[in-house]
Amino acid sequence: METIDGESFGEKYDLFVCLQCGKCTGSCPLSMRSQLSPRKHVREALLFDNEVVLDKEFLWDCTTCATCRLRCPRDLQPVEVIIGMRSILIEEAKVPATVQEALESTFKNGNPWGRAPSKRDEWAAELSLKSASEGAEYLYYVGCTPAYDPRVQNVAKSLVRVFKAAGVDFAILGNEEKCCGNEIRRMGEVGLFEMLMEDNVEIFENYGVERIVTSSPHCYNVFKNEYEGLKAEVFHYTQLLCEKLDNGLLKLTKELKKKVIYQDPCFLGKQNKIFEEPRKLISSIPGVELLEYDREKERSVCCEGGGGRMWAEATATGERTAETRVKEAVALGAEIIAVACPFCMLTFEDAVKMTGYEGKIEVKDISELLVEAIE
Amino acid sequence: MKIVVCVKHVPDTAEADVVITPDKKGIKKEGLAFGINEWDEYAVEEAILMKEKYGGEVVAITIGGKESEDTLRRCLAKGADRAIRIEDPALEGSDAYALAKVLCAVIKGMEYDIIFTGAQAGDDGFGQVGQTLAELLGIPHAALVTKVEPQDGKAKVHRELEGGLEEVLEIQLPAVLAVQTGINEPRYVSIMGIRKAKKKELKVLSLSDIGLSPDEVGEKGSLLTLEELYIPPVEKMAEILTGAPDETATKLAGILDERGLIPK
Ligand code: SF4
Ligand code: SF4
Repeated sequence: METIDGESFGEKYDLFVCLQCGKCTGSCPLSMRSQLSPRKHVREALLFDNEVVLDKEFLWDCTTCATCRLRCPRDLQPVEVIIGMRSILIEEAKVPATVQEALESTFKNGNPWGRAPSKRDEWAAELSLKSASEGAEYLYYVGCTPAYDPRVQNVAKSLVRVFKAAGVDFAILGNEEKCCGNEIRRMGEVGLFEMLMEDNVEIFENYGVERIVTSSPHCYNVFKNEYEGLKAEVFHYTQLLCEKLDNGLLKLTKELKKKVIYQDPCFLGKQNKIFEEPRKLISSIPGVELLEYDREKERSVCCEGGGGRMWAEATATGERTAETRVKEAVALGAEIIAVACPFCMLTFEDAVKMTGYEGKIEVKDISELLVEAIE
Repeated sequence: MKIVVCVKHVPDTAEADVVITPDKKGIKKEGLAFGINEWDEYAVEEAILMKEKYGGEVVAITIGGKESEDTLRRCLAKGADRAIRIEDPALEGSDAYALAKVLCAVIKGMEYDIIFTGAQAGDDGFGQVGQTLAELLGIPHAALVTKVEPQDGKAKVHRELEGGLEEVLEIQLPAVLAVQTGINEPRYVSIMGIRKAKKKELKVLSLSDIGLSPDEVGEKGSLLTLEELYIPPVEKMAEILTGAPDETATKLAGILDERGLIPK
């Protein structure tokens, strides 16, 4: 198989050392419910021509959680092989309609949600926040989902309140903010990703941005690990707020007598090893009892919101992982599932409704819990 | 088969707030996202599907400034062979008739079997360019086209009518076909594809290049003059239902039933 740049998959992803041990498929949260099989795809990439991927609609099932990468004894990246295969599908225009809409909207509107760029800052209309042109210690990069989704907008609003309470000097880009491209790259649209990266690096440079703090682990990941030429330091909000907590600048005084369980977002935990900060923030809220899933931290289970899955109807059947996680949380006696990612927020809100546990368990972002503890 | 497709680069105003310029003749463009007119996207796809099936050539044409090359590059990336853009300061203020004259001037010297246009444009929404162009070229036309089947020298064309009716016509080629949305599924074109298409020919022509004088276009050459654009005043007919989803749904069903909108 050849990548869209004309390199062989084998060489580009070093696939010749694959043992075919199957640890990747064994650890994949989708392989039990879909034809997705990272082990098999690694083999196919070595043995066959590009044509074999053309009818593999299930390649859109991969959430790019990267568990396969984490488990591989040969340090291979099956997830990147799948992204490379998606790139072939993109160039051959074999794209599910919903993915196509998301990509076209990102090109045209700067967000995958089909929303007008002039409405991006509407969530902040009454908050009189500093704009990037005024300069600030941190650029708060809001992200597409917190900017536009009515439920997740509350995460952005909560973060603003907590930042203010902790004395964080921050500004936003408002309508100049554009998609970070993390999901776009994972949907295989390499050209669009590069375009977004170049545009964003230029915008950050123009405003002399030195520190970026993000709502989403996805934006954090792409800025931190994949942006070329970005000079700014990047933080996920849980890191910044944990530092403010340690320095005594963030004071959590109000009691919240709740049992809270934390869902590690793949792009924060597994992929960036940020496990402690979110937990410390939650457990520092007076009255909170922090529970743990049996499978937590590096063994945590993906919510199925990443890798473009917000815009792709999966071929996978059976119970969604987020539903399994909600049931586990209820069984453990949790009253709140705490998340730290906009996609986890949406998949879990859905899962609570699907499992019929509405009213029994709530989904809250850590920022929303912090707001309750400071006010 | 030789195919021409006429496209337009338009602002997306579905959600954005539209602001009228002080001269009341246009809208402010800052902050608006631009792209290919929705109907034209289907027209281009139909043109390319024809070419893929019957062979031949697709030429994409637009009237507009440099920025509208984005739309032409998209057409080239999707499979058009070459593109033409007509730009001239004298075109300012042109109505559908004047624009059809410009397109006619470009197309009349070309060889063509089918000219595709979108049924209308998302910005001014006139829906007249296709028919006027056909009239000027002296060829037949069909509008709101939902299916095309060429059969030597002719084409069987389906048209969408009101009330879910469909009309099937036999039309002599060459003809102008103004395409309705939904006729096909426009393909995705990647940014890499658009970059690669940069090598294809994109010609820029002025009025004098196509043999028209400034008096034939713009306000002077138009049958319609734009007096004033304004945002329609908000009517007081809207009623916002409040309450829990099941209550509002019950109220809504009641209202629909009252007005006889639920078939019994
Ligand atoms: S885990 Fe690694 S070595 Fe084993 S089959 Fe998967 S890619 Fe190959
Ligand atoms: S990234 Fe996750 S979902 Fe995708 S193949 Fe690997 S383990 Fe499976």
